Amino acid sequence: MRPNTPWQKLVDALTSMKLTLACLGLMMALTVICTLAQVPLGTHAAVDRTIRTFLVWWQPEGSSLNIPVFPGGGLIGALLFINLALGQFMKLEWSRRKIGLWIAHLGLAFLFLGEFSTAFFQVESHMPIEIGQTRDYTEDYRQMELAVVEKTDAQHDSATAIPESMLKGSSEISHPSLPFKLRVKHYYENAALSMRSPSDPPSEATAGVGADLVVHPEPPVSGEDQQNTIAALVSASALDGRDLGSLWLSNALGAPQGFIIEGRDFALSLRPRRYYLPFSLTLKEFHHDKYAGTDIPKNFSSLVHLSEPGRGEDRDALISMNNPLRYGGKAFYQASFGKNDTLSVFQVIQNPGWLIPYLSCILVSLGMLIHFGMKLAGALGGSK
Amino acid sequence: MKRSYSILAASFVAGLLIAAGPLFSRGPKSEFDVRGFAQLPLLEGGRIKPMDSFARNSLLLIRAQQTLPVDKHRITATQWLMDSMFRPEAADTYKAFVIDDPDVLGVLGLERGKERRFAYWQLEAKRDEIRGQAERAHMVDSNRRSRFQSSVANLDSRLELYERIKNSIMVSGTDDPVGEFESFTKLVPSALKAMHTPAQATAADKKAMKSLTEMLDRYRFLASIAAFKPLPPRAGEKAEDWTNIGEGVMSPAGGGDPHPGLSAYTRMAQAYKKSDPAAFNDALHAFKLWLARERPEAFSSARSEEVFNRAQPFVSGMTLYVMALLAVFIWWAARRSEAQSVSMGLLGAAVLVHTLGLGARIILQGRPPVTNLYSSAVFVGWVAALLGLFAERFHKKGFAAAGGALVGFCSLLVAHHLSSSGDTMEMMRAVLDSNFWLATHVITITIGYGGTFLAGALAIAWIVRLHLVKKHDAETSKALVGLTYGIIAFSLFFSFVGTVLGGIWADQSWGRFWGWDPKENGALLIVLWNAAILHARWIGVIRERGIMVMAVLGSVVTSLSWFGVNMLGVGLHSYGFMDKAFWWLVAFASAHFLIVGLALLPPRFWSADKN
Repeated sequence: MRPNTPWQKLVDALTSMKLTLACLGLMMALTVICTLAQVPLGTHAAVDRTIRTFLVWWQPEGSSLNIPVFPGGGLIGALLFINLALGQFMKLEWSRRKIGLWIAHLGLAFLFLGEFSTAFFQVESHMPIEIGQTRDYTEDYRQMELAVVEKTDAQHDSATAIPESMLKGSSEISHPSLPFKLRVKHYYENAALSMRSPSDPPSEATAGVGADLVVHPEPPVSGEDQQNTIAALVSASALDGRDLGSLWLSNALGAPQGFIIEGRDFALSLRPRRYYLPFSLTLKEFHHDKYAGTDIPKNFSSLVHLSEPGRGEDRDALISMNNPLRYGGKAFYQASFGKNDTLSVFQVIQNPGWLIPYLSCILVSLGMLIHFGMKLAGALGGSK
Repeated sequence: MKRSYSILAASFVAGLLIAAGPLFSRGPKSEFDVRGFAQLPLLEGGRIKPMDSFARNSLLLIRAQQTLPVDKHRITATQWLMDSMFRPEAADTYKAFVIDDPDVLGVLGLERGKERRFAYWQLEAKRDEIRGQAERAHMVDSNRRSRFQSSVANLDSRLELYERIKNSIMVSGTDDPVGEFESFTKLVPSALKAMHTPAQATAADKKAMKSLTEMLDRYRFLASIAAFKPLPPRAGEKAEDWTNIGEGVMSPAGGGDPHPGLSAYTRMAQAYKKSDPAAFNDALHAFKLWLARERPEAFSSARSEEVFNRAQPFVSGMTLYVMALLAVFIWWAARRSEAQSVSMGLLGAAVLVHTLGLGARIILQGRPPVTNLYSSAVFVGWVAALLGLFAERFHKKGFAAAGGALVGFCSLLVAHHLSSSGDTMEMMRAVLDSNFWLATHVITITIGYGGTFLAGALAIAWIVRLHLVKKHDAETSKALVGLTYGIIAFSLFFSFVGTVLGGIWADQSWGRFWGWDPKENGALLIVLWNAAILHARWIGVIRERGIMVMAVLGSVVTSLSWFGVNMLGVGLHSYGFMDKAFWWLVAFASAHFLIVGLALLPPRFWSADKN
């Protein structure tokens, strides 16, 4: 009856309810670890290191060794999903008595899919916008890019963006649209910038504001309200090898710095990664309501004008707490505000799987209601 | 059979009468109409509430109690408020400030160990020192403050609240508030003349302007510091435009007649100061007539809330739960069916009082029942008690009733202590301001908490029974396990639905369904734990005892995600309730581990013999 092949053994192990229990236990432990890790690390970093990973790594203080110490959320989730899917199909009987369990577990499977979809496909960014401004891009503060903007033509800027990952390597960066090459000499994930005093060693930068600065690397921070000051020393050379100078670039330095080559004017800056939208938003009004006689916020709302000529969209939309604007596969949420209530900040989420949890919630609730309802009806009938 | 019903009905009615007691109490012995004053509406913390609620919440913040002992008798919060506002020289001698921190006592030059309650006059000399230390503490992030820094900042904010209260109706220590107010309004026209047309001003006009400037400074101070706004908007003004006394006095400076509340409050202040009850009550009643005519909604809602405060349904509920629990114990010990009827009657009364209290809060606040930690505790107890009463139907041995009464009592006790952090009907911050989600997500998840606690209480009863009862009764044991199992399934349903609804709310307001933040993780832990129990039972890894042990631990998991998570946020070292709550939480968990230990002892240690 039971062929004792290794394959069969594997299937048995994967479908066993003991694995379910073990995974539930591990998941609980991981949830506790993730929660406690948020105190020093902040939510984002803690989730990335415990949940959105296949293994939880631990690096002993002062060592370069990385030791996997615990299964991560991805591994436990995948195991649970396989266990649930296989176990459900191979073991649970098809009968009217079990229909509730079937529906509930199907819903659960969707929940897993939804979370995996979020982990792999969700893109999170922000759009700060002042009253009267029009924006057609969003920004991701957690990733940087090196923007090279050509300002030769006063009417039209042409920009080339180099992603952060390419800055971390030390190879030469070139792009067909650029008449020069770039090389990143230093890249600090966090740094302290200060004005150079006469006693400091000379700056490595030969041009721009960086020539007057001292840049000290610092350990990166990951708390909720902390932001890293990223600094990169970039040197440029013309295609013929002529040195064009070295610049310190940082997200903490506002003004772009640059040089002129072959009569073309280029400006370099390190800025949050931008995602361009096929449409634009204009902030018309921002409201910040408070409860009478207090500073307790009651509501925030932004009236925006949405425009996408290509699709004939030209209308107003109101974004407020609990009421996002969903458009073009993205959702715009009222996230923050500033500059004396003239600046509104939207959190922008793109998640193709955003509807999955809704479906899952309905299925699981329905399934449990049917299953437990049938049991309760049985018990009530029995007690009479 | 008939007799048991009449006993049940009689104890039910008796329970309700006990609960109604406080409503019929005569109130404080005073010639002044203290209760009438307690019902006056005011605007504070963004909502309209009676003087009584403001007084109670302030005294809770300052002293962690709603009454204050003065000269061997207790005064109510409203009496304390009146003394503070109108007779500060007396209120300054009341020992209202509790200081426990030895380092703070050291800064104040006070000896520790002897006395922990102090009067304002004892602290006044060191007021600047306290303020300075508190300012330093405020520069440190609230999570990183030392115990001394937290408690000195806390003391400073309590002193500041008291000082603001003292300067709410009149500048503290004013001898003749009525005279000052009247001369101010009289002086305004000639002072205006002196200001706008200095050439035509007489010497008298100039003098008027000078004394007006002095008074204006005092009223400006009053307007900036007052702790609440007692003057409702008059006809034609916007409904949220309440003003405080200082603002009210200064507003007619440009013309118009003064707000009737101004003369009412100044007259009450003067009469109270001069111990003239008749004049006080006259002014109060005239103002109440005006309120009833001009602002009937504010007036009646404040009055209802004062009645609710006085009725204290949750305190009565606690008493009734304890009585019901005792009756169940008597029933078990004496095996008398009369005791069973009494316990059911009392539990029914307790649940009804609890329900009425919840209902009253819903009406007063215009919100679903759970809006903050305090109301979640009230609601958890209600769910458990109601569920216990319902479950008792399946198995009439008193276990479900006792479990329900126990959880009901404990969670009301927790709520009672949580209320010391201030107004329990505070306004909701913007992101939470959604009655739909409060009514769905928050309610379902709190029902899940209540169910898990009830299952835990039943499991404790089963374990204790194992060690107390001489003869093993397989049927009772099995029924109890079945009941617990059913309640765990109930809790799984509600905690799962509640958790996912929370995710959907988060998706609606922040754009992510699940962010793994501590509160979400806490909810997930309860779901996982309850699911683990059901699956472990399904494959036979655990049997009766295993279910019960896991149900007991379910209470620990729930309490950790309910309160432990909040402590992570505010930091383990923050002053006040949460600091003490941490140790209570440790004690709660330890007690449960001890019970689990009892259950895990091998059968030869049980008294119920297994034949």
